[in-house]
Amino acid sequence: MIGRVLALARKELRQLFASPIAYVVGTAYVALTGIYFFQHLVSYNQLLFVYQSEGLTGVGFDQGTVPSHINVLNEVFVPAADDFGLFLLVVLPLVTMRVFAEERANGTDELLFTSGLRPWEVALAKHAVTYLFVLGLLAASAIYPAVVIARSGLGFEHLIALYVGQLCYGCAIASIGLACSSFTASQIVAAVLGYSIPFVLLDFAWLTNTVSEAVAAQLRQVALLSHFGAFPRGVIELREVVYFAGIAFLGWLSSLVSLELGRAR
Amino acid sequence: MAFLPAAGLVMILVGVGSYYATRSLHGLSAFSAVNLALGVLLVAAGAAAQLRSFRGFAGAASRRVALRSLALLVAGFALAIGAMVAAQRWTARLDLTVDELYTLSDQTRLLCGELGGQPGPPLELVFFEDALLAKDVRLLVDAYADACPALEIRDASRHEPPAGARELYTTTATTVIACRADVCDPIGYPSERNITGAIVRLASQRMPRVYFLIGHGEVDLANQGESGYSGLAGLLRDQGFDVRALVGPAAGEIPDDAEVVIAAAPERDLLPEELALLDGYLARGGRLLALAEPGLRSNLYSDLLRRWGFDLPDAVIVDEVASPLLEDPSPLNLLIHLFAPYNPVTRTLSRRTMVLMPTARPVGLARKPAPDDRLERVAFASERALVTRETSLALAGRDFPLDAAAAQVEPPVAATGSYPRGEPAPGAEAPRHEARVVVIGDRDFVSNRLLEALYNRDLLLNAVRWLAADEARIALTPKAWTPNQDPLTLQQTVAYFYFLAFALPEALLLLGIYAWWRKQA
Repeated sequence: MIGRVLALARKELRQLFASPIAYVVGTAYVALTGIYFFQHLVSYNQLLFVYQSEGLTGVGFDQGTVPSHINVLNEVFVPAADDFGLFLLVVLPLVTMRVFAEERANGTDELLFTSGLRPWEVALAKHAVTYLFVLGLLAASAIYPAVVIARSGLGFEHLIALYVGQLCYGCAIASIGLACSSFTASQIVAAVLGYSIPFVLLDFAWLTNTVSEAVAAQLRQVALLSHFGAFPRGVIELREVVYFAGIAFLGWLSSLVSLELGRAR
Repeated sequence: MAFLPAAGLVMILVGVGSYYATRSLHGLSAFSAVNLALGVLLVAAGAAAQLRSFRGFAGAASRRVALRSLALLVAGFALAIGAMVAAQRWTARLDLTVDELYTLSDQTRLLCGELGGQPGPPLELVFFEDALLAKDVRLLVDAYADACPALEIRDASRHEPPAGARELYTTTATTVIACRADVCDPIGYPSERNITGAIVRLASQRMPRVYFLIGHGEVDLANQGESGYSGLAGLLRDQGFDVRALVGPAAGEIPDDAEVVIAAAPERDLLPEELALLDGYLARGGRLLALAEPGLRSNLYSDLLRRWGFDLPDAVIVDEVASPLLEDPSPLNLLIHLFAPYNPVTRTLSRRTMVLMPTARPVGLARKPAPDDRLERVAFASERALVTRETSLALAGRDFPLDAAAAQVEPPVAATGSYPRGEPAPGAEAPRHEARVVVIGDRDFVSNRLLEALYNRDLLLNAVRWLAADEARIALTPKAWTPNQDPLTLQQTVAYFYFLAFALPEALLLLGIYAWWRKQA
């Protein structure tokens, strides 16, 4: 059973890295996060320069000192990491769109089932490979934050918290994309769905002003971003991990049901 | 007909996207609203059209599979949503930040326990959840909510601040305000230290009065420079003490409300009348914290403290394993990590909670004034530390001979004394009053420069709390995190930028081209 899942996962992995899309997506993500981190660091350097300049002497700061809350954690790390999630949302549907839809369009999904694989094994292997890709994507983009962490004395545990959060968040978005891909034979439709659903779920701020406070509170509980905030600040909260794991599970379950329904029809 | 839902989703996407792009300018614009409404309509129409062309499940077996799958989906959704809702109540967290920024300190937890038993109106924290720093402070406020059941946390909007806090809500940076009944205390930067400080002030039933002796070259409380004590004065006020100055020569007496008198390293002799005043104050059960410094020859050390059982030789402690924490590493900088484990002043300190003292004077014990008095050395320099009486040479940074006899001991840098005096009141076991004295052989460890270093502030606060008979509140205070604020220079930033924004993406793209070429081949 595990052997079949692993064999399919290996095949999926080969297929993923044989196509240029994985590299294009990786390039886009690494470049986006690198540029964004750079911009924050430059702004921070300028802020330090302003604080340390003589112009502020006598306005509450001793010359040459900077308030301790102006630091690399608050000014660079947290704001940049808060937005890294958005970049995952930009690139991941490009990878997930083809995973099931391509098989369905080519009719190769029938082949998978006739080879003795069960739908849950197919869904598990495809989800696992995509999560692995998310992990690789995050690892490639970790260099900049790691350097800053090492130089600022934030501690590498902090980086672990951030990347656990990013991995949870990325897997949740990938799961939604995979579920969308499993329900259609069109990669375009899968991509549009894979962008739309997480984007709408991202943050219900656009809706909360028009509904009652009670409904708004419930919507905030559902929003993806409201569950991500603790990780960049170095805290892993069990409830947030359960939330993202729950979404990933629902994505996998939806893919499984889609495969079952397709087979039944 | 697949066009309809796809077009609808695109419109929803544009509607949400345009909202996020322009939300700082206005709320939900007409453009966003129209896109969202039309998008939903198109998706619904497309779904309806798809249903009409639905092939259905032919045959009983396929219907069974379909029903089973749908039941599985419903059960799975119920399970996952149930787990998520249940998990929202769990507060288990792993705080991986340096210094555990979101894990409350011992002092805060102690205070939270105290609040539960206090009479009067409850204390509340008003948290502005839409403030500029709200995201950063939410975790801390959650930690208070978990640890302090007696503390009421009220979420508020900065557009409608609660009545009591309205006047204090001044800027968008205002994130937390502590209130008790009609009295509110604004909290500057919402760190644990500031929030706990506000709670201490509001919860304090009494404000012990602390007098700083001045007029003999003591450290200046108002001095905001590196060597001044303005930070210490602020710290004591934050911790609920009422800080006053006591002008030595002008004071005909030491006020009755003086719970603690601090002599911060007088450089000159005190007048004989002043020494007599201090002596009488201690004899009546007064409390004195004396900070010393190598090279100073005040009669406070040689006369008064000697009479009360302390021996402060004119010497300096030297440790060749100099502290590298300071910009000017010198064998006179001491990392104090040996503490008396059962003394109230040092029981919260250990090898993991060290104190940094630049140039300290040994504080030994002399003869006890009375047999029932208790004198104890409580903090020590390391096993390798030595003592030299060539103070002026050592302070000038020149070569000096070491005192071989003193090399065998861990030189003490702080000591305490308690002196029960007076006959017990009828029916009571304890004496009428107990004088207390703490002597620390360094004055600079709580200067503005070093107050925040390691656990310096905790040693001093412990001493003041013990002297003020407030032992129940002796606990490690929240740490102020002091990161390296210049991790990368602009040049280093640019170098990394070239690597990450150009070299790494370029390598990935080249790999992609290679993969594509292989596939084509």
